[in-house]
Amino acid sequence: MIGKLFQQLRDAGVLGINNRNAEYIMRCNPRSRYPLVDNKVLTKGLAKQYGIPTPVLFHVIKNHGSIKNLKTILEGIKEFVVKPASGSGGSGIILITERTEKVFLTQSGKAVALEYLSYHISDILSGIFSLQGQEDHAIIESLIHPDQVFSAVTYQGVPDVRIIVYRGVPVMAMVRLPTKDSDGKANLHRGAIGAGIKLGTGHTITAVHKSQIVTHHPDTGNPVSGLQVPHWDTMLSIAAVATDMTDLCYVGVDIVIDRDRGPVLLELNARPGLAIQMANKDGLLKRLESVDAAPAKIFTTPEKRIAWAKENL
Amino acid sequence: MKRPAVMVALCLFILTSVLLLYRIVGLGYPPLPASTGEAFHFKFDGHIKSTGSNTTLSVALPSERPGLIITEEYFGSGSLSFNLTRTESGRYGIWTGHAENGEIVSYRATIVTRSPGIVKLKPPPLSEYPPSISPDERASTEKATEKFRYLPIPDRIGLVLNLMNNIPEEPFPEGDAGKFLKYMEAKYGRSMLMLALCRAASIPVRTVEGIRLAEGIASRPLTWVDAWNGQRWVGISTDGKEILKDQETLLALTLDGTPTVQVEGGRISEVRWDIGRIIIGQWRHNYEHIARSERFLDRWSLFRLPAEFQQTFRILLLVPIGALLISILRNIIGFPTFGIFMPVLMALSFRNTGLIYGLAIFAGVILIGYAARRLLDRLRLLLVPRMSVLLTLVIVCFTLLALFGNKFGMRQVMAVGLLPFVILVMTIERFFVVVEEHGIRTALQTSAGSAAVAFITYLIISSETLQLTFFIYPELLLAIGALQTLVGRYTGYRLSELSRFREFRSPS
Repeated sequence: MIGKLFQQLRDAGVLGINNRNAEYIMRCNPRSRYPLVDNKVLTKGLAKQYGIPTPVLFHVIKNHGSIKNLKTILEGIKEFVVKPASGSGGSGIILITERTEKVFLTQSGKAVALEYLSYHISDILSGIFSLQGQEDHAIIESLIHPDQVFSAVTYQGVPDVRIIVYRGVPVMAMVRLPTKDSDGKANLHRGAIGAGIKLGTGHTITAVHKSQIVTHHPDTGNPVSGLQVPHWDTMLSIAAVATDMTDLCYVGVDIVIDRDRGPVLLELNARPGLAIQMANKDGLLKRLESVDAAPAKIFTTPEKRIAWAKENL
Repeated sequence: MKRPAVMVALCLFILTSVLLLYRIVGLGYPPLPASTGEAFHFKFDGHIKSTGSNTTLSVALPSERPGLIITEEYFGSGSLSFNLTRTESGRYGIWTGHAENGEIVSYRATIVTRSPGIVKLKPPPLSEYPPSISPDERASTEKATEKFRYLPIPDRIGLVLNLMNNIPEEPFPEGDAGKFLKYMEAKYGRSMLMLALCRAASIPVRTVEGIRLAEGIASRPLTWVDAWNGQRWVGISTDGKEILKDQETLLALTLDGTPTVQVEGGRISEVRWDIGRIIIGQWRHNYEHIARSERFLDRWSLFRLPAEFQQTFRILLLVPIGALLISILRNIIGFPTFGIFMPVLMALSFRNTGLIYGLAIFAGVILIGYAARRLLDRLRLLLVPRMSVLLTLVIVCFTLLALFGNKFGMRQVMAVGLLPFVILVMTIERFFVVVEEHGIRTALQTSAGSAAVAFITYLIISSETLQLTFFIYPELLLAIGALQTLVGRYTGYRLSELSRFREFRSPS
């Protein structure tokens, strides 16, 4: 009985969490490479080597002693983001969109003082937002101005595109749209919508919200399928070099589209979630297996891998 | 890809089986750890009064042999000095000294009997004729039994008993043999006649004093004759009339006819042997057995640990089962629990408080802690000091509970012990994070999962039978490890994923 139900999932090519952990993450992601993706400062450095744009890094604060220089550091920076270098799940991020003589305005319009930011950075350094509570660094980087293409289906926040890359081949993609539930965050488990993207064309297909299939954005009421993701080919090429950059062969690539700069690599994830399967209404496992079955010659360059993915997935 | 893990698991299983087989077949452990033997209190008391200046009392004591274990010996000697000696014929307690006004001497022991298994005893040498019997009489005795000599020993014993039972009342009707037996009986008594007959028939015998290891009180020891039947000693009544009933309860004290109680320079009165059956726990029973064995695995058995540490290991050995359970719950079923081993630690602390109170205390403290954690969040405390505040809060809760418990006479809530506060602090923090990130529903589900695992683990570690089984056969841990390895290589879907990915199951 249960075996039969499992077989249905197997037939649909669904990747389960045990299988992901044991056969993909543990087998192909060397532990020694995790810091490259867990620490956003290191990720930025790598991306620079490969010519991939990331949010501009203004400053890294590494110890409590440097916090007193914050005023000097922020001199002349109008808008910026403060985030933990090893944060996860979007916690600990403050977006400053405006500043006056005395105060900073956050994205939600709240006015905060410099002391508030110092305090927050102190929290970050103490490891409040890093998962195991280890000490962390705080990053001050440029603010992303989201491209207007998704504004009709976004409630505040910055939508981002998640592409799963296996052995350098983009295998599945979705765009994550913040909702009122998700508090402007683009994380599915916080209530953001995930809309699957057809790899060949860059059109959104179906969408999932709190593990339900949806067709319209719950807050704006606009349809979420059939949208064309701009700069799609650029995004695929950013994704395709992720494995070359990190030696991780199963990796999630998060890209945001900046109004002015185009696609910008936000972060990499060594343990990308499985909900993307629902957003695409398709199983990951069968795509991963077809990558393994692909002829060896397609793996030689990123271009060939992208072409193969567009053709076959 | 899965092969190495499966091979490791297989090797562990095989290793477990080999060790188990060795213990059961080689060392004779019970396959199911239930006791089969019996135990008795052995008490000897006597009142000794000196008549001379120096008094010596010698009392034969039980000694160990296959199937018989003697423990917890205690000697009461009053003002007399006491000594233990061991001779060919048995073990003796010797009390010496001067007891003008009388002194009570006593001996206590616990005797555990169990099936001795198959023990090969060396055949004893043939004993001599009683010295008072003359060479002529020996020759006649041998003549009376010459037909027996080529029969198996058990038959010879039967025939000797037959002769003893058929000594004619009136002399002569049956000729010389009957006349001779009657003569011997009259001259030496039946006992000595039987010893002579056995000697003549080449049956090793010994005169034994002892008592019956069965509930009861005796004021004098039993005397009987042990005859060697080729494999073991068989007790025969001294008058040669019958083989004694309930052979297995015969407990020999002296083996060469030495009296059990001997006094020099004094008088002993109120001699009493008191045998009582006792209920002996399975633990003691196995302990008695293993603590005495010299076999390798027995010498390295957990039963050799000091008793106060054994208690810990009884529980400790079962904890991996709880961990296995958590592995299964999380990786095969997909049910969330707080932390990885939190439920196991919870179960351990339930041992102090009991299940109901334990769960209630946990629920209450987590609720209070959660409320406090929400308030603390506003203060924006750093991680380590924040945890310290929670820790203090939990300990304040415990203290209040204990004070109220004391007031209302509830011992259980005072018995929270030292262990669970760390778990509680971590659980409060985890609970808060889960509520924040995944909602109250998930947090409650996770709590229910943790409580369920803690409950089942508690039942497991409280099971006396399981404790005993793992204590006797600690190699079972290897099998648990093997199962854990197998769960670790389970890459199939989790049960919860049937629901999570239900969209993919509908045949659309």
